[in-house]
Amino acid sequence: MQFLKKLSVAAVTSVLTTGVAHTAEPTPEEWFNAGRQTVIDAKHLNPNVRHAKNVILFIGDGMGISTITASRIFDGQQKGGHGEENSLSFEKLPYLALSKTYSVDQQTPDSAPTMTAMVTGVKTIGDSLSVNQYVAHSEPNGNVIDNNKLTTILEQAKLDGMSVGIVSTARITHATPAANYAHTANRDWEGDADRPADATVPDIAAQLVDFNINGGIDVALGGGRTRFIPNTITDPEYGVAGKRKDGRNLTTDWTSKHRNAQYVWNQAQFDAIDPDTTDHLLGLFEPSHVHYEADRLAQDKAGEPSLTEMTTKAIEILKKNKNGYYLMVEGGRIDHAHHAGNAYRALTDTQQLATAVQAAIDKTNPADTLIIVTADHSHVFTIGGYPQRGNPILGLTKGVGATSPDLDLLGFPYTTLNYANGPGYTGASYDNKSQIIQPEGPKTFTTPMTPAWASGNEGHVPSKFDPAHGRPSLDNAKVGAPDYLQEAIIPLGSETHAAEDVAIFASGPKAHLFHGVIEQNVIYHVMAEALGFAEQHPANEHDEEHRNKSAKHHR
Amino acid sequence: MKVSDFLKKLFNLGFFFFSASGLAVSASNSDQQLMEVACRYEMKVIPNAKSESPSNTAWFFWRKTGMIQTQDADGDYGEIWERTINGSIQYRKLYHADKTAVEFMPADIPTNNMTFDWVKLSSMLSQQELDALKPVKKTHFLGFRAELRKGKIGDQAIEVLWLPDEHLPARIIRNDKTGSMELHLVEFEPLPVAHKKPVAIEEIANYRHIDAADFGDMENDQFVKKLMAEEGHHH
Repeated sequence: MQFLKKLSVAAVTSVLTTGVAHTAEPTPEEWFNAGRQTVIDAKHLNPNVRHAKNVILFIGDGMGISTITASRIFDGQQKGGHGEENSLSFEKLPYLALSKTYSVDQQTPDSAPTMTAMVTGVKTIGDSLSVNQYVAHSEPNGNVIDNNKLTTILEQAKLDGMSVGIVSTARITHATPAANYAHTANRDWEGDADRPADATVPDIAAQLVDFNINGGIDVALGGGRTRFIPNTITDPEYGVAGKRKDGRNLTTDWTSKHRNAQYVWNQAQFDAIDPDTTDHLLGLFEPSHVHYEADRLAQDKAGEPSLTEMTTKAIEILKKNKNGYYLMVEGGRIDHAHHAGNAYRALTDTQQLATAVQAAIDKTNPADTLIIVTADHSHVFTIGGYPQRGNPILGLTKGVGATSPDLDLLGFPYTTLNYANGPGYTGASYDNKSQIIQPEGPKTFTTPMTPAWASGNEGHVPSKFDPAHGRPSLDNAKVGAPDYLQEAIIPLGSETHAAEDVAIFASGPKAHLFHGVIEQNVIYHVMAEALGFAEQHPANEHDEEHRNKSAKHHR
Repeated sequence: MKVSDFLKKLFNLGFFFFSASGLAVSASNSDQQLMEVACRYEMKVIPNAKSESPSNTAWFFWRKTGMIQTQDADGDYGEIWERTINGSIQYRKLYHADKTAVEFMPADIPTNNMTFDWVKLSSMLSQQELDALKPVKKTHFLGFRAELRKGKIGDQAIEVLWLPDEHLPARIIRNDKTGSMELHLVEFEPLPVAHKKPVAIEEIANYRHIDAADFGDMENDQFVKKLMAEEGHHH
């Protein structure tokens, strides 16, 4: 009987953690025993108090808790289960905290100060990358930047003789990856042509390639090709001109300054990279951001690797260093999908991030590798109504025992997923020239009116809306389509970030130091503790050094 | 496609590119050399609904080998399509007063089912659309050979005065139950001698370029704020 009890507990636990398809629903006793087993397992948690050899920091850009919950259910339903009992890979990591994401001047932050907090241990103002709060926005003077820059965990890792890598589905010069290696008071200065003429602070792309601590950055994979090539040559995939005006080709600079260095821009070249013989790898797979995961295989001309493939390749190269490595991996387009009001692409990109995390778990030793999964900020994305267990997460809400969708007080069905604001507002939408984009009713990622855009964003960024008259009549086919934009209450051209806390999941050395509700900059301090950097840099040294050098500019 | 859908379209060529079957991918379009031209069109939209007012707009259209550019009459806003050496089409919205171009990058164009038919971009009508219209008579317009064609596509009656040598419409009239739309060619010059030229590619290259996908993260950018809230809607 004891054996059978343990077996049933294992089965329930399995159900609860993996969402195994077609498993019978747990009995009350099985629920109870599974819950008890979770506590027993927790009692056996053994904090790893050793130092870490490696640190991998995963960022789901805009991956708030509602995004995680919805993605969990979506993933579980795709596997054939109800969905709610499923767990994404990183949800199984043993240590958890909540992160307060506000910046020095923003209640709801952007990606620049949030990533700065995570990689430097210091909060700063909006749009700034790894410079302190005393630097005015868009400060062009390189000396001021130098005097106020914040040392990043990546820089410290290089100083310590480690290898470092940056991987993202956004441009590799975008805010989240850039905060690791660049210092600037304007996150949009990604290429030299993006800066004002009088700026002496180097552009972000140049800072990546010219990074010169202990042999430079070892692996950089993502998008953003055009800011690396001069305007005198054309993009190899699409034929458009590069964007650099200084004449530099940073892709050839990369290969010429490093030994055993390669530059790749498509899947075939990426696949051909031998990690054993490649020490420095730069991969830029699109002129700008790479494809959403939902579109990558079907749409990309030259082929581009997934976030998981990039993560795996990076680890294979970096792990050759006996001193260890620091790797940052970003699912950068979860954020873009939410801004566009499109849950499907946000959830599928989150799925891909989870796959990348699992790949990293499989390739590393939990005894010596600290893995952290978190978000920079959240989005105004909600899971609501009273849908029954297993209700399709992208579908109309249908209550327990109901045979048809639940109805609102206007008599119309509604979806479980919605946005508080954004382009999914159902009034007729217009661009800034008063041209109609989509008529009153449900909105999609594409405009049915005309293929030639009248708007300024991915299918639907209106400048104006007519007030909605009631609500649209929806059906499951419509709302389950990948291009459907979930309804928004407040009409905006782009949906916004949200201010609530985000989750931090962690495993490995010092992961137990994540607990409770913490400031976002504590993430750096846990990594520093894990790598032994904290002993090298006392608590107050950082602030005092930079206060003495600051220009005392305020935004 | 109903005329009412275009009531507030002022300067966009999009409606000319409508096809019942959707647009074809650009890569396989004809490389036929077309005359390089500079045109000005005027468009009049007359809705049947008494609650809506007629509108009149004017815009410029330039066609060069590998480039189509439009610009509204006041010169502030335009669009440009460029065909690259490997057959891709780069599309940008141009805000001349702000010296800013908004790019729709390759990774996001297919996501949005945005496809560009180079023949339609160049001539405003596809061959399939022309073939759907029955020739009525041959005539002349501004000294050019012209063909009057009429027909129906969906529930919309269409009349086109087509310039076969220039591969452009001199006139398009669309009528359906919501109203009528008339497009008239009012100025035509060969591009080399045109008095009004398009903004040069070199000048556009010096514009600030923004990826449309980044708008959501540019909430503090003055241009983006202006673009997304210009001419606030009033009741």
